[in-house]
Amino acid sequence: MGSSMAFKELQRELETKAEDLRKLQKDIAKNHEVRKKYTVQLGENELVLKELELLKEDANVYKLIGPVLVKQDLAEANANVRKRIDYISAELKRLDGTLQDMEEKQNSKKEGILKIQQRIQALQAGKAKA
Amino acid sequence: MADRAKGTVTSLSSIFPAEEALKASKRVQDTIAEKQRELDSILHFVADNANLINLVQRLPDELHHDIMVPFGKAAFFPGRLIHTNEFLVLLGEGYYAERTSKQTVEIFKRREKVLESQVDSLKAMMEDLKAEASFFNATAAEASEGLLEIREEYIDEDFRNKVSNAGNQNRDTPSSSGEFTMTGPVDDEEYARMMSRFDELEKEELVAEITEELDEDEQSKAGLDYLYVGHLEDEYNEAEEDFDDQLNLESSNFQAVQKGESVRGKALGDSAKVKLAEDSLISERKMNHQSAPSPKDEVSVSISEPPVATRMFEPATDSLKAFTGCIIERTDNLPMNPKEPASSKSSGSQPSKPVSRFKMQRR
Repeated sequence: MGSSMAFKELQRELETKAEDLRKLQKDIAKNHEVRKKYTVQLGENELVLKELELLKEDANVYKLIGPVLVKQDLAEANANVRKRIDYISAELKRLDGTLQDMEEKQNSKKEGILKIQQRIQALQAGKAKA
Repeated sequence: MADRAKGTVTSLSSIFPAEEALKASKRVQDTIAEKQRELDSILHFVADNANLINLVQRLPDELHHDIMVPFGKAAFFPGRLIHTNEFLVLLGEGYYAERTSKQTVEIFKRREKVLESQVDSLKAMMEDLKAEASFFNATAAEASEGLLEIREEYIDEDFRNKVSNAGNQNRDTPSSSGEFTMTGPVDDEEYARMMSRFDELEKEELVAEITEELDEDEQSKAGLDYLYVGHLEDEYNEAEEDFDDQLNLESSNFQAVQKGESVRGKALGDSAKVKLAEDSLISERKMNHQSAPSPKDEVSVSISEPPVATRMFEPATDSLKAFTGCIIERTDNLPMNPKEPASSKSSGSQPSKPVSRFKMQRR
């Protein structure tokens, strides 16, 4: 009877691990999505910066804030876009880091699950003999 | 049979089940469709951009335009566009800039370039994916056709690559480094072709050498005759070139050596003849192998069974990569080179191949 207890124990462990793995994979997918969004934004901001740099000093620049266009100083707009690019780059870097972390975790989880499965199989084989 | 054949025959479908390959191909197709949608939307942007450029270029032609101004979703009222050379252009991220028509067009042109680069990259990606998909499809088709994978071992001292054929592992094959242990008519012919090529090259080399020497030391011909002969004889022993070929070559190209050559020719003629007889015997035997596999011979098994088995998939294990990716079987009527076995020594370090075949036949 002890073996069946151990078997159940193992099965429960396997289930919890599988659940964890699923969660991790979901997180990774989410991370990918966010990263994609940020990459697109980064590209857009870079375009804006390029255009802003091409404008002359006296050009009128507006920013759409809610429903209204607010006139902005060119230098200010430039600085703002730069800041935003920096921010997005930092965010992307951060996301990369977490992604790597998560992938490592995922791999270790997968290995753990594999081990448990092997143990279960071994147990079953032992039972079959007995 | 199993322990004599030096390879394994696995049906491709056992490695890559047809359904699996199809599934993979379908997944790739899905990705392609997704990319295609992306590409379509970008192409749409490109068209829009072109239209916009057109419009913006035309607007300042007039001082004002009479237009119908949209009002809500359904209603319009007549209006008039003035200030036709002032544009408020969205740069992205909520930033707008006041530009003239010309400047606006410049912005659009820059945007067009960006879009074009995106289109290019997308197209390249799709090309890759298509190649992948066609590969999967081909694999699926081959697997369902019952294509067989034939693996033949390249035997070296490393026996790490244990092919699933258990009998293979216990053979006491001579495994001195660099030895070719070839099996089957495919290898033999390949080998023969290789060797005959070697021979050709060697002959050319020899010709070049001799002509060079002739040019250099024209005067001391008499002394050199002897030298050439000695040299050639060495060459002869080394490479065991076909005697007739050698003779032809020399008589046509190097009259100077003719005398010595003929003397030596007599001396060596007999051995050469013997050699030739031997060789033809061997090649004859080989022909027999190919046409009618007897239980004794080593010619590999499965070649005649599936009509499709002419291609060989390179296995994943790198250790087996001594073969080129695919082997094409040739029909047996390739002209056999009678001097093929004799030429084996020209590759110096490699022990001669016929020996290994004999060994094979002993077993």
